Amino acid sequence: MRLITHNMLKCHVKNCTDPDKQFPLRFKDAKLEQIEAERNDEFLVRMLPRIEWAALATTANELGIELPKEVPANPADDDAFLQGLHTAIMEMHVKEGSMLCKGCGHEYKIAKGIPNMLLAEHEI
Amino acid sequence: MGKDPVADTLELGSAAKEAQYVHGVYAAIAGHFSATRYKAWGRVHGFLAGQGAGSVGVDIGCGNGKYLGANPRVHVVGVDYSSELAGICGARGFDSVVGDGLALPLRSGAFDFAISIAVIHHFASAERRAAAVREALRVVRPGGEALIYVWALEQHGRRRFDADSQDYLVPWVVPGGGAGGDAVYHRYYHLFRQGELEALVEAAGGCTIVDAGYEKDNHWVVARRTGSSPQHGS
Repeated sequence: MRLITHNMLKCHVKNCTDPDKQFPLRFKDAKLEQIEAERNDEFLVRMLPRIEWAALATTANELGIELPKEVPANPADDDAFLQGLHTAIMEMHVKEGSMLCKGCGHEYKIAKGIPNMLLAEHEI
Repeated sequence: MGKDPVADTLELGSAAKEAQYVHGVYAAIAGHFSATRYKAWGRVHGFLAGQGAGSVGVDIGCGNGKYLGANPRVHVVGVDYSSELAGICGARGFDSVVGDGLALPLRSGAFDFAISIAVIHHFASAERRAAAVREALRVVRPGGEALIYVWALEQHGRRRFDADSQDYLVPWVVPGGGAGGDAVYHRYYHLFRQGELEALVEAAGGCTIVDAGYEKDNHWVVARRTGSSPQHGS
């Protein structure tokens, strides 16, 4: 799983409803693997509105991946920014570890790059 | 049970029925299912191809991920209840998560589009099918679209169903998969009548139906999210 996908995930345990805590999920013991991918600037610039930037930047920094705190004024013209973004969201894969909810503490395991987001019956 | 569909008369709760006759079966047949599911449906492909560069979408019930890479200019997140199928997507290099269509682990309005292809007919009650539609719509941003396909009761292909019942156990045969020959697994399906999917989507609210039709034994709908939210789900 890449960070672009992680940026879409939130905790969905029934009584965990504080939007400031159920997102983003915080990685624990994350094992990363970088897999080279072709950079597509049009894709990167156009998908920016779909990203919750503060959450992405915080998450990336926690994993030791550098991203600026804010999106630059003209991202399309900022090669260094685009390269960093490309690496962070399209090349870095979280292969093992887990994700923790800051609200309810639920732990979502990640195995072979696939997070298991299923809940027990009483959590739905 | 043999190799023909049989009307569902099981005395089981909906969740238990799905656990045994949907999730359990996909866990068992994932490899064979995936090996036979490589052809993309034309209309689904067209819907995906029509999404602008940089769009982010979700394939709810993504199976083996045959649509996840259909448009290289967009990013699609796969969700499937089956860890076996999600694993197949992952091995193919796609991002996928194991998740439940009744409680998607996804931000509301996060996606430009959603697809749900041949999935919602596996939910074993009207309430659960309605909840699955609401969830699919919830995660799409206002102005974004969801494409939903379900099996039709009115089938013209090789399978024929008696219009007296809409709930069936439909066999999946793995040739040579059993001890004494073929292995036969039964999957639960609710077959949708003409107009039933549109009614379900309209009842969910928060969207307008922009296109609908029938193709290859399926009813399909394209719904566009409006500014208001779908009715609160389960």
